[in-house]
Amino acid sequence: MNKELRRKKRYQAEKRFQVYGIIAISLALFFVGLLVFKVFSEGTSAFSRTMIKVPITFNAEKLGITNINDNDEVENADYYTLVYEQFVKNYPYSNDEEEKQIIKLLSPDYEFEAKNYFLQNRNQLNKTVTLLFTASDDFDQLHKGNFPRDIPEERRRLSNYQLNIYDQFLKEGKIEKIFNNYLFSKGDSRDPELAGFGGAILGSLFTILICLLISFPIALSAAVYLEEFAPKNKLTDLIEININNLAAVPSIVFGLLGLGVLLNVFELPRSTALVGGITLSLMTLPRIIIPARASLKAVPPSIREGALAVGASKVQTVFHHVVPLAMPGTLSGTIIGLAQALGETAPLLLIGMVAFVVELPGSPMDPSASLPVQVYLWSESAERGFVEKTSATIMMLLGFLIVMNSLAVYARQKFEKKWN
Amino acid sequence: MELENKREAKVISKNIDVFYGDKQALFGIDLEIYKNEVTALIGPSGCGKSTFLRCINRMNDVIDICKITGEIEIDNFNIYKPDVDVVRLREKVGMVFQKPNPFPKSIYDNIAYGPSIHGIAKDKNEMDQIVETSLQKAALWNEVKDRLHEPGTGLSGGQQQRLCIARAISINPEIILMDEPCSALDPIATAKIEELIDSLKTSFTIVIVTHSMSQAARVSQRTGFFHLGKLIEMGETEKIFKNPNNTMTQDYITGRFG
Ligand SMILES: Nc1ncnc2c1ncn2[C@@H]1O[C@H](COP(=O)(O)OP(=O)(O)OP(=O)(O)O)[C@@H](O)[C@H]1O
Ligand SMILES: [Mg+2]
Repeated sequence: MNKELRRKKRYQAEKRFQVYGIIAISLALFFVGLLVFKVFSEGTSAFSRTMIKVPITFNAEKLGITNINDNDEVENADYYTLVYEQFVKNYPYSNDEEEKQIIKLLSPDYEFEAKNYFLQNRNQLNKTVTLLFTASDDFDQLHKGNFPRDIPEERRRLSNYQLNIYDQFLKEGKIEKIFNNYLFSKGDSRDPELAGFGGAILGSLFTILICLLISFPIALSAAVYLEEFAPKNKLTDLIEININNLAAVPSIVFGLLGLGVLLNVFELPRSTALVGGITLSLMTLPRIIIPARASLKAVPPSIREGALAVGASKVQTVFHHVVPLAMPGTLSGTIIGLAQALGETAPLLLIGMVAFVVELPGSPMDPSASLPVQVYLWSESAERGFVEKTSATIMMLLGFLIVMNSLAVYARQKFEKKWN
Repeated sequence: MELENKREAKVISKNIDVFYGDKQALFGIDLEIYKNEVTALIGPSGCGKSTFLRCINRMNDVIDICKITGEIEIDNFNIYKPDVDVVRLREKVGMVFQKPNPFPKSIYDNIAYGPSIHGIAKDKNEMDQIVETSLQKAALWNEVKDRLHEPGTGLSGGQQQRLCIARAISINPEIILMDEPCSALDPIATAKIEELIDSLKTSFTIVIVTHSMSQAARVSQRTGFFHLGKLIEMGETEKIFKNPNNTMTQDYITGRFG
């Protein structure tokens, strides 16, 4: 009977443990789901852009163009007035104030959008074409349904007059939603409808590239030396402990180091992917050395002995056999280290990668943002348009992380399969 | 006695002591290993057989705490002289381990690795030739000739061990050390390897460590019995098994050993 009771208890304990496990996993999945849901529901609208259809006549006289083949003239023509005058005609206004409200529905970039079109379609001189102009942020958000219309006018960013215009345009079919290529091709901007994370993506890529180029070779050499060649003594023990400590140092400390040494002593250019990459490589270094050493250690001694026994030297044994076998683990460690670096914000803030950068960086020497810093910057902005952009950037960042982590898993599996 | 004089000593161990840190594993080992013969080393677990075997190709060098005193002469040349090139030594003294340890590469590359690092083959043709003859000598050629570029780790245990033997003979050593080469194998694979050892002794000098009395009796011409780090007795295999001088040897061989 006693035995029976004990067995029953054991089954119960097993059941209970399973239930705990399931609860824990469900809870974790719930929060991940919540995060993903929030990011996606907020962020997906950032991938579309509201456009207003406007017929524009490229009047040579208004533009001040006498010779269409004169590049200088075409470049410097007055597109601003051209579009302004023709756009405000789309809705009746009775005073300057109303006129201003009309033009405010367009993003301030309309002059360039008209110009870019015309530069490529010069044969449209004196003809009328219907162009799509990017709507202003408020108009865009209204169209996407992110602005409540039923609150009092003085608390709204769009006046009743502007709402009427919107309704009118909508009725006339003048409003169109297109894929927001600006999001990918543009840098930061004060106007949310013109802001993109293109600069941030490039900045992140440059940063990670620099980080990889610096940290991988150094970390691999350090790991190989420490694991295979260094004598085991107090000094190497000390180095080992410090590498482990280094991996645990808060990233902001590396930012301070970057600020103090790279910017102030070596006077490298501020806000650049170069400095960001070097700073992050300091942080990534121990995070690669540790898995690399673990993979080297995991190579069975019998392989080393086999190589030594056919007369391979120590160096040959290490580089012909041990290092290649340790590569999958090292690579996946490297990718995970880089993924961590990709999401790192604090050190980049300190070395000035929070600057407001409109231009896309052409090289690691140019000032640039990075994805996590862009999230930080936009999340601080008041405009409604930046809320969706913040989430879209997070989506992008998560996408990169998922790709990198899958790559790490792939690297490990692919190369390991080959040997077994 | 008369018979022994005709034989040529290939390896002569003179007063070898081995220490792992403070612990002494071998005590003053003196013995001779004759050319083109199979010498078996037997003894209870932990008595130092592997340690002694690893002294002959200086494999113990890779163990930091291992210290060796004494001399081992191969062809009358002391391999523990300070300026000896271990890489050259290991070209001359090959080794096969207890557990088959093929490189995680193709069968071909397993064999070709040794010759390639020593520059033995002049071209691809010659390399193919070396691979083929090595595999043939190891009695593996027929089984693998159609799958030379498949991974060596995909072979059966016995085939892997023969692959390791082929790898050892690919650089044409003079001596082959085998540390319990059949301990991971079934009787059929064991029989194959024993046959192989017997045929190899015409071209190589072989030292084999084994736990199997019958194996020692079958393959070896001379046998040495180790106990607690000391060489208790060494002599003709027949004599050791039929009529040993030492009672400890007698007890071990008859299985009465504690
Ligand atoms: N790497 C090592 N570090 C420390 N001690 C060792 C090492 N290798 C062997 N020893 C010790 O040396 C002694 C002899 O070991 P060895 O491996 O030579 O025995 P063996 O006769 O080959 O035994 P077995 O038949 O079990 O393989 C043992 O006491 C062992 O503990
Ligand atoms: Mg042993």
